Amino acid sequence: MTGRTLSALAGEIRAGRLSPVEATRACLDRIARLDGRLRAFITVDAENALAAARALEADARAGRWRGPLHGVPLAFKDLCHIPGLPSSCGTKTPQYFFAEHECTAVRRLVAAGAVTLGKLNMTELAMGPFGDNAHHGDVQNPWRPGHCSGGSSSGSGAAVAAGLALGALGTDTGGSIRLPAGCCGIAGLKPTYGRVSRAGVMPLSWSMDHVGPMAPTVGDAALLLGVIAGADPQDATSSPRAVPDYAGALSEPIVGLRVGVPENYYFRGLHPEMEAGVRRAVAVLEGLGARVSEIRVPDPQLITDVANIISRAESAAIHSRLLRERPQDLQPAVRARLELGVRIPAHDYLQALRLRARLAREFIREVFAEVDALAAPVIREPAPALADVKAGTTEDVTARMKEFSRLTRPWNGLGLPALSVPCGLSAAGLPLAFQIVGRPFDEATVLKLGHAYEQAAGWWRQGPALG
Amino acid sequence: MTSADPLAMDLAGLAAAIERAEGDLALAEEPARFAAALEAGAPPESGAPGPATASEAAAP
Repeated sequence: MTGRTLSALAGEIRAGRLSPVEATRACLDRIARLDGRLRAFITVDAENALAAARALEADARAGRWRGPLHGVPLAFKDLCHIPGLPSSCGTKTPQYFFAEHECTAVRRLVAAGAVTLGKLNMTELAMGPFGDNAHHGDVQNPWRPGHCSGGSSSGSGAAVAAGLALGALGTDTGGSIRLPAGCCGIAGLKPTYGRVSRAGVMPLSWSMDHVGPMAPTVGDAALLLGVIAGADPQDATSSPRAVPDYAGALSEPIVGLRVGVPENYYFRGLHPEMEAGVRRAVAVLEGLGARVSEIRVPDPQLITDVANIISRAESAAIHSRLLRERPQDLQPAVRARLELGVRIPAHDYLQALRLRARLAREFIREVFAEVDALAAPVIREPAPALADVKAGTTEDVTARMKEFSRLTRPWNGLGLPALSVPCGLSAAGLPLAFQIVGRPFDEATVLKLGHAYEQAAGWWRQGPALG
Repeated sequence: MTSADPLAMDLAGLAAAIERAEGDLALAEEPARFAAALEAGAPPESGAPGPATASEAAAP
């Protein structure tokens, strides 16, 4: 199974060269062998996964194909509500988390033939970018134990990178899909706000939350997005816009597409290896025919502050009961961030929401008049050591958290699609990554650029040496 | 709340950012215009309505 892409595995099942049961067993065996040290899963649902795989195998033999993911084993962040499985949301208090609806994105994937392997580890309440978790274990970076997996969709990043699952769902409020994707060397897409339903997913900030795919390659992420995107009556913020054929559009040429590289903010204070990796990736895109230019983007710090005010205030409101009744059960940094939200005045919250509307409108008008997409770093350094990011006082840790998501949070504030793509390895053997950002609802262009780069560079063929 | 309280300092920093930027907000600016900005900035539509499952179609 190792080294197989999701798309390739789906093709092998379709061609009858691999059965859903074989694929599922291979993942479960790998989980049993490796997850004791990786800590990517909170719940492994082996029995139901094998039962579902057997049913899919019988369907395949009878010529009944449920969809493009027939027999493909996936796993889901532990804030997706799946009937019959607990949702801890990364806490030690699962009794605080229930949903009125089954997770729409999971249901669509299962309807398309996916097998659910289980629920994935995550940062407590999805509040933290490193992947540490005092209750369920720190998720280890598959490329180098003892280093961050990135968060908050930490288990999603590690499970996919380690080949424990062929794809996963993550959520992204300030970078929580792209940071673990970047740290673990896989593709991760935060779609446009409203592109994917958030129904049945524990909210952290209803204005900033995004659900998206994490997968071995950009092509795999495109396949998953095509299944989960689209309007949902259970989520009033989901867009009624039609869903393009994302996977089909990947092969379109990128010649002539205008790619802007921000000259302000994004390259400040970058680790030299990360900067070199991102600039090499941009050069590859240029070599493929993209028209690359430098561009000054509207102040990302302002939209970052606006996004922080909105997400802190909303998360404090959503989790006020937990904060009031069981503050001792929260990790200190998570508790500190919630307590900050409680103290944000209504005036500041409302002004931030109004400013967000104006900033998004101005950014879209100014930037996309000049370019079709932006290319920028996604993490400022290769995954740091867990011991380093956890050291010091609570204030030290929260300051590091803010800095670690500095390059991802602006895109949550603006609601734009942003794709993290691996772009090499550091001298220490840790993944480098960059992000491609596009017009609202133009995931097709973002994915097309990412796929073209990925095919030319070939980093997706490398995986961590896990034995 | 003291000036040495890190939470208070964070809060003050965020409030100051709002104060600097809110001055020229139009009276008619409202949060719903965010979603409108995304729709207005999107490329022309293509594709199908989306793969809603049977239970979604039956939802009220």
